[in-house]
Amino acid sequence: MDSETQNPRSGMGDFIESIRDTTVMVKLYSGAVYYGELQNIDGYMNVSLNECREIRNGKVVRNWGEAFIRGNNVSYIGAGS
Amino acid sequence: MLFFSFFKTLVDHEITVELKNEICIRGTLKSVDQFLNMKLDNAGVVEDVRWPHLVSTKDLFIRGSVVRYVHLPSSAVDTQLLEDATRREAEAAKNKAK
Amino acid sequence: MADVEVGVATEVPEPLELVRLCVDEVVIVKLRGDRELKGRLHAYDSHLNLVLGDVEETIYIVDDEDEDVESVRTIKKQSEMLFVRGDSVVLVSPTR
Repeated sequence: MDSETQNPRSGMGDFIESIRDTTVMVKLYSGAVYYGELQNIDGYMNVSLNECREIRNGKVVRNWGEAFIRGNNVSYIGAGS
Repeated sequence: MLFFSFFKTLVDHEITVELKNEICIRGTLKSVDQFLNMKLDNAGVVEDVRWPHLVSTKDLFIRGSVVRYVHLPSSAVDTQLLEDATRREAEAAKNKAK
Repeated sequence: MADVEVGVATEVPEPLELVRLCVDEVVIVKLRGDRELKGRLHAYDSHLNLVLGDVEETIYIVDDEDEDVESVRTIKKQSEMLFVRGDSVVLVSPTR
């Protein structure tokens, strides 16, 4: 039983470390897309973002500022803007 | 556990449960369990014109997972107590994660 | 085990920390089914079950017969104290 099996996040630790504090794209199952600076992420894929913008049809439709996104809604998280 | 304890303090209060299928049911909270399943007494559908098939339902059990909201009487809620309990639980969860 | 801990020595707050900092603050909560709530956060847990006070609910009704001309109607409702089941929650954001 190593730390990787205990903590689902540690397997992606390097990736998460490399994109923390950078701008990421969070895609939800609903189709909604959010961009923001990644504060942190946990094993449920709960995500907290700074300067979070909601994008629809390529346009910013809303500025949320800080935002917490519940992990079950997340389809994927991409690095870069 | 926080919300289980919280709902236990609301037993015998009148609440309105809004389900994910839009139906609103008003009644007296009689019991609650850890899944937030609830038993209501003297229950009635708020808009019985829209859902006439439920008018005769007086005593019912609601599965927690179909609930969207529960409207509460603010007089029955000690917000200060709730906030303190929330902070305590957050602290406990953080220590457990380590 | 010990050196794994050293590897993550730069302790960063977990995402839920953001929600913890919103207790007793007014937040906007985005929910499944085109709904939004604005109210004072009194309680939450790790499922994102919430209790909000002085809540305004906004329901967005999108009539999208036409893709380009999407007209959105909104319905607003008030509630003095509201429990929200966490599985409906999509996003929580503090108002500033």
